[in-house]
Amino acid sequence: MTPLSRYTCEEAFRRLDDYLDHELSAEEMELVREHLEICAGCAREFNFERSVIQGVEEKLQQIDLPDTLQSRILKLLNDQRR
Amino acid sequence: MYAICDVSDEPMTEVVEGLTSTEHAAVTLSADEFQSMLVDVLPALYRYAFRLTRNRADAEDLVQDTALRAFRAMAQFEPGTNFKAWIFRILTRGFWANHRRGQRRPNTVDFDDTPDLYLYARSAEHGLQWRGEDPAHALIDRLGAERVAEAIGQLPEEYGVVCTLCFLEEFAYHEVADVLEVPVGTVRSRLHRGRKMLQKALWYLAQEAGIVNELSKREAKA
Repeated sequence: MTPLSRYTCEEAFRRLDDYLDHELSAEEMELVREHLEICAGCAREFNFERSVIQGVEEKLQQIDLPDTLQSRILKLLNDQRR
Repeated sequence: MYAICDVSDEPMTEVVEGLTSTEHAAVTLSADEFQSMLVDVLPALYRYAFRLTRNRADAEDLVQDTALRAFRAMAQFEPGTNFKAWIFRILTRGFWANHRRGQRRPNTVDFDDTPDLYLYARSAEHGLQWRGEDPAHALIDRLGAERVAEAIGQLPEEYGVVCTLCFLEEFAYHEVADVLEVPVGTVRSRLHRGRKMLQKALWYLAQEAGIVNELSKREAKA
């Protein structure tokens, strides 16, 4: 732990997923952020993990709704209403 | 193949039982409001169905089935609550109720005891550094969408579904818990473990595709 950080590396790392997913309280987010500002090793690991998550999200989102699916579903629902 | 069931004349089944978004939905949606909300979430719903079934035709059937079930159960939804989580829950139940287990790609990766920071550590071991390009980005970009989806498909189902919901739709943990009807703590632990497994699956696929070698050689020349 560096003297200016209130979290140790271990404490920060334990919160890695929650930090990247914005699931921590504002106070905890700030404590992790504070640690990352002064700990290059942890910052490197966190950035790598963030990059993996963003890369996977980007790839998984590359899929479009088939052209006719929406109209087929709406027709089906309209038939149900009759 | 996803075994779609014909719901055209079917009464409410276990798929939509107990789906009331609050104890007593005092106000209900009109059919027009339902359709408008459905159209808004349809692209996301299809992406999720596709990731679960990994097949376009089955995904279309699953979404259509879900829309019909949700339409018939819309009196159980209270306006103002989370429609997206509600309809994702119906889709998830429908998928689990109908798909035949054991059809996932045979798992070729041993996920037991996968350490934290798996991809980071293996990248460093193979000399993939931060010279200009972010190594995680370089690796995933070269893997492409299909292999990334394949990696998620290799995870044990309970982990793959949590990862899909978090990665694909950026649901908050409590929303994933709502969709899957499990405690938030279960979501947190499955996501943590699932991410480690996913990193291992990505690494093996990258090795299999020669991407690790390609990047290592490039780094060695730099």
